[in-house]
Amino acid sequence: MPIIMIFYYLITAYLVVLLAWNFVREKKKTEDMALYLLVLIPLVLRILRLK
Amino acid sequence: MPTQIGIILGIMVLAYALAKARRLTVEISMFLAALVGGLAGIIFRTPPAGELIRHLVEGSATYLDVILVFSTATIFMAIVNESGGVNYVVRATIRAFHNKRLAALIVLMIIVLIPGALTGAGSISLLVVGAPVAMALKLLGISPKRAAAILFIIAGLSAAAPPVNIWAMILCAGTAIPYVGFELPLAVPVLICGVFTMLVLGWRKERSIDLATALQEMPKVPARMTWWRVLLPFLVFFGSVAAYRLFPFQTPILGLPLQFTMSALVAWLVSPHKIKILSLSRDTVKRLLPLISTVVIVGMLQQIMTATGVRGLLSYAVISIPLVFLLVSLAIIIPVSEGVLTYGAAAVLGIPLIWYLDSIGFHATVAIAGLTLLWPLGDGLPPTALIGRLSVMVSEYKGSYWEFLRTTWLPWLFITIVGILMVVYSAKLSFLVRWSM
Amino acid sequence: MKRPGLVKAVLIVLFLIFLIQGGLRLYRHRHFDVPVVTGPGVTRVAHLSDFGPGLKGTMADTLVYFLDGTEPGGKAILMSNTHANEPEGLLAALLMLENAVVEKGSLIIIPQFNNSAGRNTRPGDGYPLYFEIPTDWGLKTFRMGNRDASPLDQWPDPDVYIHYPDRQLLSYIDARNVNRTWPGRPGGPLMEKVTFAAMEIMRREKVDVAVDIHGAETMFPVTNCIVAPEKSNRIATMASLTVKAKEGFDSHVEPSPAGFRGLSHREIGDFSDTLPFLLEAPIPFLDQPTGPKTVKFLLDGKDPFLLSLAQKKKLFVAYDASGWPLEKRVGQHCSVTLEIIRQYSKKNPDRSILVRDIPRYAEIVQNGVGHYFHDPSRAERDRIYPN
Ligand SMILES: [Zn+2]
Repeated sequence: MPIIMIFYYLITAYLVVLLAWNFVREKKKTEDMALYLLVLIPLVLRILRLK
Repeated sequence: MPTQIGIILGIMVLAYALAKARRLTVEISMFLAALVGGLAGIIFRTPPAGELIRHLVEGSATYLDVILVFSTATIFMAIVNESGGVNYVVRATIRAFHNKRLAALIVLMIIVLIPGALTGAGSISLLVVGAPVAMALKLLGISPKRAAAILFIIAGLSAAAPPVNIWAMILCAGTAIPYVGFELPLAVPVLICGVFTMLVLGWRKERSIDLATALQEMPKVPARMTWWRVLLPFLVFFGSVAAYRLFPFQTPILGLPLQFTMSALVAWLVSPHKIKILSLSRDTVKRLLPLISTVVIVGMLQQIMTATGVRGLLSYAVISIPLVFLLVSLAIIIPVSEGVLTYGAAAVLGIPLIWYLDSIGFHATVAIAGLTLLWPLGDGLPPTALIGRLSVMVSEYKGSYWEFLRTTWLPWLFITIVGILMVVYSAKLSFLVRWSM
Repeated sequence: MKRPGLVKAVLIVLFLIFLIQGGLRLYRHRHFDVPVVTGPGVTRVAHLSDFGPGLKGTMADTLVYFLDGTEPGGKAILMSNTHANEPEGLLAALLMLENAVVEKGSLIIIPQFNNSAGRNTRPGDGYPLYFEIPTDWGLKTFRMGNRDASPLDQWPDPDVYIHYPDRQLLSYIDARNVNRTWPGRPGGPLMEKVTFAAMEIMRREKVDVAVDIHGAETMFPVTNCIVAPEKSNRIATMASLTVKAKEGFDSHVEPSPAGFRGLSHREIGDFSDTLPFLLEAPIPFLDQPTGPKTVKFLLDGKDPFLLSLAQKKKLFVAYDASGWPLEKRVGQHCSVTLEIIRQYSKKNPDRSILVRDIPRYAEIVQNGVGHYFHDPSRAERDRIYPN
């Protein structure tokens, strides 16, 4: 895999960590919890190289 | 078949309305509309039941790169802001231009136009320079509401401005028209509309403010802040963008997210004081959640609308309008479609529209340029309102969204008229394309 | 909220269902192979990576089939799935691959020219993942691909794509569209490596004729035609007139615009001695104003909205209630390809190419496309290749 593409997987992984962390810390707003997971779908798909 | 699709469309609209009535957020309501639309589609096997989740999941990836650009650009600017760089620049601008109002307005307009022109995204303009420009506008005696309105319109124009106009690119890629000759057909109207907007919304001083108080009102800048600390991260960004333009075959393709990440790292390293990058990033993502989730959900919505035929029905409805009425109704159709589908609208309506106009003697390049002045207006319209919401966010306007939107009416009307006239007189204006090449 | 833990657990379960159910389908699509039974004419099978650097081990590498005749003569190359969401090209190429016998000269066929795009889906456009064609021995399943390569194979996109070597600005999406990356370069992005390797085949093998097979929207002005640059124009015109006169279908000639870079019909001609042709057949499925994107619609091309637009004279091809079925599209491609080869051979007897056993338009319309595909379960193992 080219080095630049590796950086992209790292950037994506960093965002996944941030979103997952915010999801865990969110205690009140159910809607925000759902939105964090929705945004995680395409990012996790990419990291798993599914899409 | 049209009845079947009409029923699905009706159910989607109803689902959205019900969700909003139950005080759910715009994002969740749109997601529910997509989900319920897909479920309604299953009745007619469009899509087949087993494919519904795949469609939603696949659709979520439509704008994956936009999510990365939004996130990295915002984290970058959050770091620059945290380091005191933003305040530093605004102070300098105000000091230099505080009694040359016209020059100040034009300079600020150009500052907002550049990032969007280079990247094709008005959001980048707002995320990168929006906050400092909003502050400068306030120090020129412009209310936060008007400042937000100025930012919204100019950021929209920046997205339309050459060299990179994403709507035009999507249309060119979809219609197999080369993306050439757009420089003047885009630059001329963008500058005219931009200056018009700055004068209409920015000329009047809503409160008088002298230089000393203005500077005092601003947050303090860290003592060790210097010009090079502010400029270096931006040089990395603009330098890498320019390097690919100047030496395209020697420069590796970095892409905007990596370019912003590099700039963010540089900004972090040269900051005069230590910045906690992890918690700053986390807060930024939290702040961005409405926008990036909108982008994900619009992708899902677009996929479901196509799989069920709703998208085709809407596209058909637009193409079937008689010509004269069609040209007039572009004023409504184009922005509203952008408000619902964001970039997806350019493909759904734009591609058949351009082929049709081209076949009856309109000049495709000028017509595309004209249409791309109208699309950014839709970025202020709900349900998505991507750029409108960003403008409000960076200018720290706290009032009602509709109040803000109403403030933009005169430039909005002006841009609409310019855009439609460009489409109507595209053949006569084709000299702009020739002069560009 | 009373039980945030419970709510979270429910949401996570839903998230996992989405991820696993949806993700697995996309994964299976990317790794699904269509078995191709090579016909009696196939003499050797190579990889595109044998001709250009940087492709080996990537999803962009693809099979290149050689059909060499017993007598020396000219050479023709056929490429399909340049745009992998225009399957009439792929089916025409596979049909030739499974049946053609070359008597004189050579035929080179690259059926999955953009292999990465053939294993990609098109987010936002609601396509089915697969389509099935009825054959004499059951259904044969094909992947529905995308116009552009997968970002899993070429990522990131530039902010704007700058064409090599002309520096024309193209849409960022077109960096993954192999019909914008011609003539390519060995050190460029993956898709430029693909077109560079194809150029190398044409230059090294001294290929005379290149045919790039596509499908295009009925609302697209350049549909149902042969796109040809100046140097290919005479042969294209002769082919167009002959199929009209002898076989009764239209396929007019469109000049390749000189100012639009990166396209096969432009760059192949400018960067080699090969004569390029790009074939378009109408594919209603790709039009915007249509009903749901179903497999049935993909195959029969019938749509009430397009029918209504046809009556309003907004389409660029004749369109009636019979739609635009796959057999017609594939049949046109086979006939036009054969006619181009025949016209070239007539004008260049020393470089002539003689091919037999490829069905023509009328036969394919009558028998259906599937009739010409062979049953992999009854074929010899060493003749089967995964595509
Ligand atoms: Zn094509």
